[in-house]
Amino acid sequence: MKRGFTKHLLARESWPEPPGGPRKAACHFCDTLHDGGPVAECTAARCARCGGVLYQNRPASLARATAFSMAALFLMVLVHTYPFLTMDAASLRRNLTLIGSATALIDESEPLLGISIILFTMVAPLVLAGGMIYVCLPLMAGRAAPGARTVAKWMYRSEPWNMVEVFLLGVLVSLLKLAKVADVHFGVGFWAFSGVMIFMAAAVAGIDREELWDRLEVAHT
Amino acid sequence: MSRKFPKAADYGLAVCPTCAMVSPVTEGRCPRCGTHLHLRKPASIQTTVALMLAAAALYVPSHLLPVMTTMELGVVTHNTIIKGMMTFWNTGAYPIAIVIFTASILIPLLKIGALTWLCLAATGKVHPSPTALGRLFWLTELLGRWSMVDIFVVGILVSLVQLGNYMSITPGPGALAFAGVVMLTIFAAMSFDPRLLWDRLDEMTDDPAPETPTETET
Repeated sequence: MKRGFTKHLLARESWPEPPGGPRKAACHFCDTLHDGGPVAECTAARCARCGGVLYQNRPASLARATAFSMAALFLMVLVHTYPFLTMDAASLRRNLTLIGSATALIDESEPLLGISIILFTMVAPLVLAGGMIYVCLPLMAGRAAPGARTVAKWMYRSEPWNMVEVFLLGVLVSLLKLAKVADVHFGVGFWAFSGVMIFMAAAVAGIDREELWDRLEVAHT
Repeated sequence: MSRKFPKAADYGLAVCPTCAMVSPVTEGRCPRCGTHLHLRKPASIQTTVALMLAAAALYVPSHLLPVMTTMELGVVTHNTIIKGMMTFWNTGAYPIAIVIFTASILIPLLKIGALTWLCLAATGKVHPSPTALGRLFWLTELLGRWSMVDIFVVGILVSLVQLGNYMSITPGPGALAFAGVVMLTIFAAMSFDPRLLWDRLDEMTDDPAPETPTETET
């Protein structure tokens, strides 16, 4: 059993051919039709007309996507446990948490803004990292988890709404705004969220969208 | 008669926006992931223009109304985005003033300008030049999200600065208007279809579609 698991974990099976052989590929920017054939690892297929990337073959794609997503998910636990900033002013100590910045706006009768913070900094990264693990981990053993296609669809839909890096910039701007009125320190939450940003970017870049869908198609359900 | 670069749409093929599979548009839904298939995004220009005009209309109140209200020892100050940026500039914090200026004033304006230009080009009012404008489109999609930084700053400051009578911060109506600007420009960029620029270029350079759809097998 252990040997089998290690075999899957280290498996670097290359991009499988989709059922029915290589397919047509069309550029998202100019709609030029290409014959989509396999490309070598670490290279990309580009559009002959506009130069946009059609798809790219990433090395050890499933292992990378899963590992980076797991790291991001683990750091998300720290993000919600420890404060981002600690402020000492007027003999009072205030802690900033991610959920705190959202609930403060909801309490101050701006529920739409609070909900948008929850969606962009908590829900979208969670759907992205969780969905990636749910889809890619069983794929390493050549299996598709139940409902994996629906999860993959929502994962890619949530991707543009993942605003971890923008929130981090917001923390820095707030720190500079408060620096002259109070004593402000970074907390573990801030560094953990920086890690989430890096690992999420690595996980999304780790596997090409088309490769993930091709693998889902050939996988056993 | 055929094009130098054949288009998927010429053969009635649509590329799935979710999983990138190319399938006949007559299928209705992508056979792989179930997303609705269209040759071009439906009513792309109309949707983009509508969302962009709404964003432009909200841009004015978003900078005139206060994004947050500070109460310090009983003194109430209303802060607009521009005022906050000027404070940083006057205290010598130039890098952060430039970041705020770019994210909250420049990017929304640039986005509205860029989308206007793209819509004009896609309808043939100006030359399409798709390579340059395609890059412009890619840039507007990339930069738009950074404007949300102001909303996050408001959330962080409101949550952190609750020091009773000494100092407290509450959100102002400008914050909601500004969030509206950012969301509307993001949706406007999403509804624009860059393939329309290439369609327009092909029409202009007399490179018509083949008369009869040929077989897709090679």
